[in-house]
Amino acid sequence: MSMPQTSTSLVEITNLTVRFRGAQTVHAVNGVSLTLEPGKVLGILGESGSGKSVTLKTLLRLLPESRTDIGGSVRVDGRDVLALNPQDLSDYRGAVTSMIFQDPALALDPVYTVGEQIAEAIVRHEKLSMKAAMARALELLELVRIPSPARRLKAYPHEMSGGMRQRAMIALALAARPKLLLADEPTTALDATVQIQILLLLRQLQRDLDMGMLFVTHDIGVAVEVSDRLAVMYAGQIVETGTVRELIRDPRHPYTKGLLAANLHGAKKGERLEAIPGAPPALTEPPNACSFAPRCKFVQERCRAALPPAVQLGEGRVVRCILAEQALVAAA
Amino acid sequence: MALETHPDRGGPGTPLLQAKTLTKHFPLGGGAVVRAVDGVDFAVMKGETLGVVGESGCGKSTTARVVMQLLPQDKGEMLFDGEIVGGQALTLKEYRRQAQMVFQDSYASLNPRLTIEDSIAFGPTVHGVSKANAILKARDLLQRVGLDPARFAARYPHELSGGQRQRVNIARALALGPRLVILDEAVSALDKSVEAQVLNLLADLREEFGLTYIFISHDLNVVRFISDRVMVMYLGEVVEIGPVEELYGDPRHPYTRALLSAMPSMDPDNRTMEAPLAGDPPNPINPPEGCRFHPRCPHAQTVCAKVKPILATVGDGTRQAACHMQVPGSGHSHAPALEVAA
Amino acid sequence: MTAITESSGPVIVPPLAKSPGYWAGVWRRFKTDKVAVGAGLVVLAIILMAIFADYVAPADPTRSSMLRRLRPIGTPGYPLGADELGRDMLSRLIHGARLSLFMGVVPVFIAFFIGSVIGVAAGFFGGKFNTITMRTVDVFYAFPSVLLAIALSGALGAGITNSLLSLTIVFIPPIARIAESVTTQVRGMDYVEAARASGANALTIIRVHVLGNVLGPIFVYATSLISVSMILASGLSFLGLGTKPPTPEWGLMLNTLRTAIYVQPWVAALPGAAIFITSISFNLLSDGLRSAMDVKG
Repeated sequence: MSMPQTSTSLVEITNLTVRFRGAQTVHAVNGVSLTLEPGKVLGILGESGSGKSVTLKTLLRLLPESRTDIGGSVRVDGRDVLALNPQDLSDYRGAVTSMIFQDPALALDPVYTVGEQIAEAIVRHEKLSMKAAMARALELLELVRIPSPARRLKAYPHEMSGGMRQRAMIALALAARPKLLLADEPTTALDATVQIQILLLLRQLQRDLDMGMLFVTHDIGVAVEVSDRLAVMYAGQIVETGTVRELIRDPRHPYTKGLLAANLHGAKKGERLEAIPGAPPALTEPPNACSFAPRCKFVQERCRAALPPAVQLGEGRVVRCILAEQALVAAA
Repeated sequence: MALETHPDRGGPGTPLLQAKTLTKHFPLGGGAVVRAVDGVDFAVMKGETLGVVGESGCGKSTTARVVMQLLPQDKGEMLFDGEIVGGQALTLKEYRRQAQMVFQDSYASLNPRLTIEDSIAFGPTVHGVSKANAILKARDLLQRVGLDPARFAARYPHELSGGQRQRVNIARALALGPRLVILDEAVSALDKSVEAQVLNLLADLREEFGLTYIFISHDLNVVRFISDRVMVMYLGEVVEIGPVEELYGDPRHPYTRALLSAMPSMDPDNRTMEAPLAGDPPNPINPPEGCRFHPRCPHAQTVCAKVKPILATVGDGTRQAACHMQVPGSGHSHAPALEVAA
Repeated sequence: MTAITESSGPVIVPPLAKSPGYWAGVWRRFKTDKVAVGAGLVVLAIILMAIFADYVAPADPTRSSMLRRLRPIGTPGYPLGADELGRDMLSRLIHGARLSLFMGVVPVFIAFFIGSVIGVAAGFFGGKFNTITMRTVDVFYAFPSVLLAIALSGALGAGITNSLLSLTIVFIPPIARIAESVTTQVRGMDYVEAARASGANALTIIRVHVLGNVLGPIFVYATSLISVSMILASGLSFLGLGTKPPTPEWGLMLNTLRTAIYVQPWVAALPGAAIFITSISFNLLSDGLRSAMDVKG
């Protein structure tokens, strides 16, 4: 290589593994690689225990370090996140990458007003007076379209409704103008009519502020509303990635197909559902075969013998399944 | 003693359950009252599945608890197969054999200190079945909900997955041989792939045991899949009720329409562009006068703020909606014209 | 739906291998807790020592000798020295364990039953019954336990039975409080709702679904009171409201030896050390039990 290659990706995760030590070791993430271009949205879709939230938390180093083994590399905006020292890490958190959660109670402090919390987050990263920071906080509340923002600036989190708290948390996350927003099921606890408001807000903010966003959810419908591309996770691995259109219109992995069927969109009454039998594996061992094989109706001998190949079907379109490989060979 | 089957007394024309102006208020102290369920009327026909949808605070879970008589109603009454629930012909204890409930939290609804078979056998023993018979019955039910009794009967709840536990809860509800099963967000906590298995099971059991379901959920896709008729609730009231395809295809109440269009589109080329409603659902402490939906309704007019709309029959007679726009002569400009008497 | 028909012969339920239950899990976790196991062994040793005091003690605990008063630790024939009347300290400590343990365990045990009944009933039935019961309990709870025990003992007069009674009364309110709060928690669980929905009456629900889930936590809390009870009982004896001399009891020994604190401080401190070791062992044991029981599954 003649020149040090400058990567244009905002997020570049390579072969990430996360293992929790404890009474029983849990292999939560087993070789995840993904990239996110600046200003794009990647939806990470998976069920509980698929490793989607763990992957997200690794990007902010939020996992308890004393009992977590992390392997692979995580680069965000040119930084090696796993190697950041404490000072750089706290500069990085919030200013480069910030996060919104399912439960705003995790992000909002009940003893300070919303305005104080946002202003504090601004001052932490920028040299601004508290007064100027408060003015910015007001702008942020306007940005997330909280009604009567000046009044809400002085409100405590418990004085707000669920949807409003979620908006306040988004404002807090945006306080230091991050380049990357991590969203961990931010609409799961919300009512349907509020959920769509928050999804549309996130979509618009992401576009207007030109942020990258990683959006973790278990709900395909939600993922489709906000994402440019999707990654489907199962048992700590990404089993399929592609654009939203490719995954919805032409799912290739049997698990993705099963999830789409289980979403019941357009399912007719009285029809039997194509349910995936069984339950996800316990992840006490690192996988040495296809993790989905025990539940897959297309399972072959090879699936149980070795890890499935990552089959490249196109630019950014990867499926971890031998069926995809066989289809590719047949087509050639 | 054994549990005998319950004969169909009223015939197929009598609703299995009829709720008349069911009302449940919770005093908050200081004079404030949560009007959780406020004069709700509905009927569930024999063998059908009534889906109940609505957002938090709409009163759907309180309705379930009142129907199950876990909470006494403040006003109103229920008829079960024509008999007054808690009356002389149908005591509360008798009613509870015929109506059962499955809760959302599969873990919290099983006693952690009892084995699975003991949990299922508990109900029948309460009604005088011998312990040995109840255990045999429990194992039979485990088989029917898809859990091998030899493997699962003597296990404890914490050793099962969420989907397996919910199967146990379903078996427990069936142990008394009920005719009506209330499913309160029974599949909501499950992962999607497991949810589909349990929905298939529920459909099979309905067939096998001739059950009637009240299916409460916030997931409109699931409700559409499993229900024959759907009831939409808003702030403690029924705003619309009708056959599922008609209601989903042609919602008559603006709230139903908003709820349906708030569903994610699932079509990457045709994503939702505008939220149908702004703000959060209001809480049921001080509901608005008139139509409770009017402050958020795009079609609200003066009459909506003043007069409470009645749940009126609309369309071909199978549907009801509580909206002034559906009632001729209500005073709303979109209301159909009054038919001129000949 | 088909009914179960009663067969003519006795119904045979094929037995299934029970999976290890909740308590097996508690035991498995408890075993790995070295501190708690150690404390448990100490408690066991003290209990055995108390039971077999007649065989374990080297000498008669009441045999005094004016010549051998206040001997230091390590005197030949007196491994832990001699007290102010020349009695063998080791033997007195061993025999004293009987009464001290008795006064530690029995009041807590009785209070555990009475407090549980009060608390479970108040927690389960709730409403006005709860308010009346728990406010009455609170009246007693408002007094510091030491003061209450002294006041009751003082009013009832000295003696073992009366201090037993007053200690029992002291421990009922805290146990009832805990019982009430865990029962209120359990009462709100869906499985209790489900049991109500199946038509079971209150007593059946309490028996099958509530007791099994509340007695464990209440019991653990009660074991943590054993040390308090021992110390209070010793205190009562110290003040002359409990045991009478010459019966060996750790609190009383502490009292009578306090005059010798400048002559033989180590010997005078021995009963205190015994109280300390025993009560801390009970506390560590109860802590271990609590964390072993605390995990779901």
